[in-house]
Amino acid sequence: MTVPTFAPLPSADAPAGAPTAPIVLDNVSRFYGPVVAVNKITFALGPGITGLLGPNGAGKTTILHMLSGLLQPSNGRVLVGGLAAWRNPAVYRSVGLVPEREAVQAFLTGREFVEMAARLHELPDPRAAADQAIRTVDLQSAADRAVGGYSKGMRQRAKIAAALVHEPSILLLDEPFNGMDPRQRLHMMDLLRTMAAAGRTILFSSHILEEVERIADGVLVIVAGRLAAAGDFREIRRLMTDRPHTFVVRSSDDRRLAAAFMSQPAVFATELRDGRLTVRVQEFAGFTGTVAGVARDANVSLFEVAPTDDSLESVFAYLVSGVNR
Amino acid sequence: MTVFATITSITIRALLGRRRTLLMALLAAMPIFLGLIVRANDDALDLRILGQTLDGLVIRTVLPLVAIVFGTAALGSELEDGTAVFLLTTPVDRWQIIVAKTLVAGTLTAVLVVPGAVIGGIIMGGTSSEAIAVTFAFALASIVGAYLYTAIFLVLSVFTSRGLIIGLVYALIWEGIVAGLLPGSQVVSVREYLTGIVQTLAPEAGRTSLVGASGFLYAAVAFVLTLALGSVRLARYEVRGAE
Repeated sequence: MTVPTFAPLPSADAPAGAPTAPIVLDNVSRFYGPVVAVNKITFALGPGITGLLGPNGAGKTTILHMLSGLLQPSNGRVLVGGLAAWRNPAVYRSVGLVPEREAVQAFLTGREFVEMAARLHELPDPRAAADQAIRTVDLQSAADRAVGGYSKGMRQRAKIAAALVHEPSILLLDEPFNGMDPRQRLHMMDLLRTMAAAGRTILFSSHILEEVERIADGVLVIVAGRLAAAGDFREIRRLMTDRPHTFVVRSSDDRRLAAAFMSQPAVFATELRDGRLTVRVQEFAGFTGTVAGVARDANVSLFEVAPTDDSLESVFAYLVSGVNR
Repeated sequence: MTVFATITSITIRALLGRRRTLLMALLAAMPIFLGLIVRANDDALDLRILGQTLDGLVIRTVLPLVAIVFGTAALGSELEDGTAVFLLTTPVDRWQIIVAKTLVAGTLTAVLVVPGAVIGGIIMGGTSSEAIAVTFAFALASIVGAYLYTAIFLVLSVFTSRGLIIGLVYALIWEGIVAGLLPGSQVVSVREYLTGIVQTLAPEAGRTSLVGASGFLYAAVAFVLTLALGSVRLARYEVRGAE
């Protein structure tokens, strides 16, 4: 898999024609009245797959809309393929956007929809280009049915085919895996990997950690409009898992188990209150890898070990606090 | 197929939904129904009364209503439901989108409104050469009005998601009341341009307008300015419903 480069930003006084990264956000903010949707975000992306990860409402769609020229940045520069994205239809020759909204004219067949995109891009052979894009997303069997009767996953693939039909070097996808079944999800991941291997720059948004982990090496974590973390996924994942965790444990003898836990280096606090044993640990793997053995040695039966703060929001909150430290 | 033809054909298919077309066809047939009622009890109408009737029914009612529906649906509905994103993320010049969609919406409006006006006019006014002249003056004014009204309502829908409501307020309140009370405001009233066209082509209909024969010129200038304004606005269009 191609590893996305977090390319250096172009300097403002770079000579004309100097190469720039395919995707550049330079100190970009976007306000909706008094609300700050995106707050001074800077990054540059090269070829490969990058995940734009964050909870719902974090500003991911706003960033993708600014990159696709559908929103004007309030401040800063948004460059796509070296060109300003705002008010510049020429950028769409090298950009394909797969929006999150499902809206596709329901009366068109999948093939007509993709072919319409090919014609609007003035491709020399729109029919052949549409056929190729439909094959790429594996939609041949449904291509001649009206989009109105498609499942969510099929509609998603039709949208991706339309975005791919002119073979853009940059592909922007807003929550592309929403509504897909596991098989379609795997197929789509393979497709994105293949396109990245061919040298394309792919940026996709998601609020699901595992999706980003499985497919992207580079990740941008957006929380409340700010860039909370950026870089290699493994580093972000380590930050996410190596933070303090709290577990609730149920067992045949909570009191004895609490005492046994206190001899473990990964555990720094236990609390027994209202018949519940709460264990605070330094890092996730250090605890989960040993908890069964500790219980067995103490001759206690484990019924349940449940993390209490593993919601995406708490992970993001931790990352943000890390960024601000 | 060119880009222009692609936008045109998709817009035609989007606008010709069965229920909308049927409702608009019924509305556009109002002059025919009224003509049949009038002629069941009476002889052909006097030219002035024919002029008054076609003005009230076609120019003031049927034409703006059909134009509002097609004008706001041609682009505004796509902007609202998000389907326009697929059009806007292509390298197509924005003026082509505005012009192609206006021509489709205007043509559909004219195709529905003009036959009703002509058949209704002939039923009500008879086939004397003067009555035919009055009827065809209204038919021509309706064609001009179909394109100008749809252009205005289509561009309005790029500016606001409430294009339908604001269009109705313009047609009913501005043109219906304000333009009648303040004669100076008639130079920005489509209805006055159309009345000027009727006045020029068939003076015997007894319709008079402040703009007179300049109605053609005013309508042409307003049409071009509206399309230019719409193109500039669409180039700066920001997608609705973001986070």
